[in-house]
Order: sequence, then structure tokens, then C-alpha cells
Amino acid sequence: MKDSKSGLNEKKTMDRRSFFKKMIAGAGLVGVAGSLTGCLRQSPEQTGGQGWLPYQYNVAGNLPAQVRGRVPIDADNPSIVRDDRKCILCGQCLEVCENIESVYGYYNLPVIDETICVNCGQCSMACPSGAISERDDTKKVFEALEDPDKFVLIQTAPATRVALGEEFGLPAGTWVEGKQVAALRRLGFDAVLDTNFSADLTIMEEATELVKRITGEVKKPLPQFTSCSPGWVKFCEYFYPELIPNISTCKSPQQMFGALAKTYYAKKRGIAPESIVSVSVMPCTAKKFEAQRPEMNDSAKYWKIDNLRDVDIVLTTRELARMLKAKHIDLTSLPDENYDSLMGEDTGAAIIFGATGGVMEAAARTAYFLVTGNEPPELFLNLAPVRGLAGVKEAEAEIPGVGTLRVAVCHGMANGRKVLDAVRDGKAPWHFVEFMNCPGGCIAGGGQPRTAVPPTDAVREQRLASLYRADASLAKRKSHQNEEVAALYRDFLEHPMSELAEELLHTDYHSRADKLKRLLTRVG
Amino acid sequence: MSDTKGVLVDITRCIDCESCVVACRLYNGLEVKDNSVEQTQAEKDKLATDKWTVVQKYKIEKNGNAVRRFVKEQCLHCLEPACASACFSKAFQKTPEGPVVYNEKLCVGCRYCMIACPFEIPRYEWDKAFPRVQKCQMCLARVAGNQMPACASVCPTGAIAFGNREELLKEARSRIAANPGLYVNHIYGEKEAGGTSWLYLSDVPFEQLGFRTDVPYRPIPDYTWQVLRWTPHIFIGWGALLTGMYMYTRRRAEVQAEEEMYAPVDKDE
Repeated sequence: MKDSKSGLNEKKTMDRRSFFKKMIAGAGLVGVAGSLTGCLRQSPEQTGGQGWLPYQYNVAGNLPAQVRGRVPIDADNPSIVRDDRKCILCGQCLEVCENIESVYGYYNLPVIDETICVNCGQCSMACPSGAISERDDTKKVFEALEDPDKFVLIQTAPATRVALGEEFGLPAGTWVEGKQVAALRRLGFDAVLDTNFSADLTIMEEATELVKRITGEVKKPLPQFTSCSPGWVKFCEYFYPELIPNISTCKSPQQMFGALAKTYYAKKRGIAPESIVSVSVMPCTAKKFEAQRPEMNDSAKYWKIDNLRDVDIVLTTRELARMLKAKHIDLTSLPDENYDSLMGEDTGAAIIFGATGGVMEAAARTAYFLVTGNEPPELFLNLAPVRGLAGVKEAEAEIPGVGTLRVAVCHGMANGRKVLDAVRDGKAPWHFVEFMNCPGGCIAGGGQPRTAVPPTDAVREQRLASLYRADASLAKRKSHQNEEVAALYRDFLEHPMSELAEELLHTDYHSRADKLKRLLTRVG
Repeated sequence: MSDTKGVLVDITRCIDCESCVVACRLYNGLEVKDNSVEQTQAEKDKLATDKWTVVQKYKIEKNGNAVRRFVKEQCLHCLEPACASACFSKAFQKTPEGPVVYNEKLCVGCRYCMIACPFEIPRYEWDKAFPRVQKCQMCLARVAGNQMPACASVCPTGAIAFGNREELLKEARSRIAANPGLYVNHIYGEKEAGGTSWLYLSDVPFEQLGFRTDVPYRPIPDYTWQVLRWTPHIFIGWGALLTGMYMYTRRRAEVQAEEEMYAPVDKDE
């Protein structure tokens, strides 16, 4: 017994020892085999590359691609933001920024101290995954609406009423002016007013300025440039600062409205200007930038109150749709309602501000009246050469006493460059040029519903047609027929380009040439 | 080594679009944090285990004027990487193509690489049960297949150029020569830490852009090699010395024992 037991113990000890030896030998063998067969060498599959890239980047060597990368967007851009979770590097933002707007690629590198952006938001219209969108200011508006001490008024741009319906499933271009007013009332705005009112006012000021430039009463160069598209204005400040004197000193309708909301409207209604929250709904992301321009606080200067902004919050059409949906307001089921008075009346001339060529046509109608004292003939009510989607449009019209009025219209800043270069080179025969940053004008602005991505001419044409239909259906189609505008002059401003009008409705521009080393033509 | 690939980053051409950052995430399937929109800029611009490259933003002065410059940050892929030299399990390796790659299957998680790296690039998954070290792999599969790394392939301005390292050095020198008023006369990465696969050109001094300018030109592994190369000599020498001493003492003991054995019996007794 004893012997066998000790023998067993001896055997166990031997086993453990041999196991250890075998293990060491085995590990050595695996190591040698692994090294020899290359298993321990890095194989490419193990080193990243678990995802994908869009196809244009999967090419050998340094072969060129049709489009690479994306536009730069500053974190503090007031107009647009980008969600990197959604970006797929398709390059379409770059394509539109470079080839439609001629912004990206038209400045030399290295950059100076800001990211060159005209805030137009056309990149957000081209972005297939919705990575680029407007900066969301809806929270600020909801907070203002919930504050009982605030009088929250809203102005609606001409172009939102032919696009908002699309967010609710209506066909492109559906006219929802009355439903939009009803919806804004349901949201709780204290006054629903119309940017069309100040569009008519803009025409009164801008047509007066044009006539004064032509007659030489105002010593400013011709052609006069329109100033209602803030993307265009910033573009000119960046790339053509030498032509800034050509830009009309008139503020855009949004900013004219803002300056009056906290002065004229506040006085007439007996509301303290500090308690007014001035909101606008625009088809445009650049309007957010425009409202933040430091000089856009003329109501503050008027009342000598600090921290008063003419327009406090700018919403895009898309943000308004989101607000309505958040409150379960179905636009399609609402009745048509009318704007509140004092700054709510419009004419056909104001409605067509939303269309490329519309500002020009509206100005021509009133300029004719201002010069001749007579109502313009039928030609001015259907100025066909400046309508439609051609990139650069020209027209001529006889105005008795002045002669031939020559005008040009362009939209999309790549088209704008052609006109600007002609003016710079002294080859421009025109008296008046309309610039719209976005192709098609405001109806296809960077804040409009993304009904077709990228926006198609089919959608643009339906929205345009809707505006022109509304214009044609109205009895009053000329800005000087707007009775609320007439009352404004009678009770407050006295006459176009009066001292007070200059103070509240006009502005100046400053060169941004020190922000970039411009290239006048695209190279490489 | 002359066939090794590299990337030339020209800081004067960077516009901060961060296409490279997105491309890196897309191609490597890296997790994108849900709160990426709410993150502050400073948080966004930190290298992380799921962010192998970032673009650092600098507001600095150049000739008295305020300028903004952007620096793409990622692993520089040293020609003689300290991380690989410090890694005893061979999880870090320098490939002949250029990329310094990490193989998680070989990693024991000691993090010596993180201490070794002179550029403080590797990041550790502290929040995971089986953590890995993570860093830019320079898209080895693409580079080995003669494709640009993902980041270089999407760069709209040509700020990130891919190619043979020797040729990129030539290109960098010719850019400096063509525009000496613009560029600082230095190619960062040509000599730093013994040379890196990634090279940088700048129009402002590199130290203003967060670059480590105190990195020696000597490869980091050289320093340890100065000591470690004696290891076999000391190992064998020490063994030989001990063996010699052992043999000497044994021999002496033998001699002594023999002497004692054959010694005449004490006559005095």
C-alpha cells in the first residue's frame, strides 16, 4: 500500500513537470510557426477601415475627383449649423457655394481671420442628408411667447406664403397667406404683420433714390443696386467693395419693418419699445445675419435706449413649420385670416418681391409714377423680360421726361459676378440692377422648405407663378397705392428720404475686403 | 525606406472645413458621440479613442494682424517610432509602407506606448472592460493599395497631400523656395524625432500652433538603444564573468583540497 501510494505521488510530480515542459515547447512552436507564416504580422484588415467612404474618394493614387470635401462653417455662424453625425462628404455644399454662389474658391489662401460665408444657406438646400441646417431660434420665440410682459409681433416675408404649405403636404407654390396668419395667431403672437408693408415702403424709398440718382440730386453712382438681399450685400462687401456706393442706401424690408415696429408702431399702439419682441419669418438664413449687424439698431438710437435691436429674432420658413408642428397646429385645416392693421397692408408690387425680377418690376411701376405723376402703362404691370429663371435678364422701358430706363436683374452670385464685372469695367448701360443672392429669388431662399433637394426649377417656377398670380389678382399693384404706407408718411416720416426716413430706413455698408484676399476669377 | 509613404499638411491651405475629421470617422467606422452638436468647440477638438484626427483652431498674431490658423492633428507616424520600440508585445509596428499601426490582438494594455510617444497621441479606452489603445492608423489598407488616406482623399483645398515621403519633402522645399515670404523655412517632421511620415508646412512659427518644438531630432528609440544595446553583452559578459569566477573558485578549492590531502601530516604534533 505504502509503496504504491508513494509511487503514485512520484508519477504525479513527473506529470506536472512534463506538462510544463510541453507547454513551454508548444508556445515556442506556435511563436515560431506564427512568425514564419506571418500570422503575427499586421494584416491590413485589422487596422481601421471598418467603415466606408463615398465612391468618389475610392480611387487610386492622386487621381482627381469631381468634388471633394465640404464648405467650412464656423461654429458661431449666426445663420447655419452643421451636424457632423449626418455629413456624408458628398461635396454638394461645396458645389453650390463655388459654382452657384461663387464664394468658395474665390479667395486666396491662407485665410485671414474669418470663414468667408455670405450666410445665404444655399448649402443647406443642397445637403442631401440634412447635415447643414438653419441655426434654430425657435426656442427663443417660444420663450418670448410665454412671457406675459412681452408684446411679441411678427412680420412675414413675401415668399414664405407660397412655400410654407409644402411643409404640410400641399403642392409646391400653394398660396397659404391667410392660413399662415391664422397659424401665427394660434401660436400666440400679439400682432401678425406683413413684411409686404415695408416692401412697399422700400419701393417708395428706393424708387425715390433711383430718380434722385438719375436726376443728379443725389450724388451717387449709377447703376443703383438693390439692397434687400442680405447675402448679396455681404457678397458685395467681400468681393466688390469698390462698388458699395452703387448699393441703394435703403435697408431691406425686414430691417425697415424692424426699425418702424419699435418706433412708429410702438408710438401708435402705445406700447413701450423695450417690451416689444420683434420677430420675423423669412425664406432666408442671411436675414439672421442681417438682423445681427451692429448698425441695425436705429430704434435704439431713436429712443436713446441701449440694447434695443430692430429685429430681435429671425425665423426661417422651416423653423416656423417646426414650431407649428410642435404645437400640433395643422396649417391645412385653418381658416384664412387677415393681417393686423397699421403695418399689415400690401400691394401686388410687394408680393412679387419674393421673385427674381420682382423688386425691379415693383420699383419701375412706382418710379414711373414718381417721375411722371401718372400711373404706369400696362407694360409696367407685366414686365415680362425681367420675369423667369434666366440668370441675367435685361429690360428697357420708356419713361416720359426721363428717357429710356435700362435695367438688369440677376440671381445667384455667379450670375451676379457677370453684371458686377461689367459695371466695374464701365461697360454697364443700366440705371438700376436687381441682385438676388439665391437662384430664383427669395422663393428659393436658403430658409425655405426642402421640397426638392437640391432645389429644382419646377418647384421654383410653381412658387414664382403663385406670386405673380396673386399680384395679378389684386386691384392695387403699385407700392404708392398702399394706404398704410401713405399714412406712415403723413403721420410720421413726412415724405420719402426725409430726415427721419434717412435715420430709420437707410443704412450704409462697409468693405469686408480686409477679410479675404479676393480672386476675381476662379483659378484651379 | 525611400519607398515609404507620407503626407504633407500645408497649414496655409487649411480652411477648417473638417472634411478630414469626418472622413476619418466614416472610413474607420468610429463611433460618433450623440451629443456632438452640443459639445463645446474645445471638447470637439480633442483627440479621443473614437476621434483619431481633429483640427485645432488657433487665433494668433501675424505681422501685427489677427489671423486664424488650423492644424490637423493625428499620429505623425515616426520613421523610428518610440511607441513600437516601447511595445514589448509587438502590438505597435512600423510598416514598410509608412503607417505605424496598432494591433489590438497583441496588446496587453500596458500603455508604455502612451508614455513613450513624444507627441502624446495614443488614447486609451479607460471606460471599457477590455480597453484598447487607439490612434490614427494612416489607413494602412488604402495606403498599401496606393490610395490616399481617407482624410487626404477628401481635402477640398489640397492642404493634405499624399505621396512618397522623399517626393513630398522635395515638394515642400520647392513650395518654400517659391514663396519664401509666406512660409516659415522649416518642414516640421523632416527631422523631428528622427523624422516622421507626416510633414507640415506653415506660415507662422510652429511653436505658436501647438507643435512641440523641443522634440529632439534623434530618434527616440536611439536613447534607450544607447543603454539597451549593451543588454546581450552584459547578459553574456556577466554570465561569463560569474562562470569564470565559479571556475576559478572551484579550481582553487580543488587545488586547496588536493594540497590539503597531500600535505604532510603535521610534524609538530
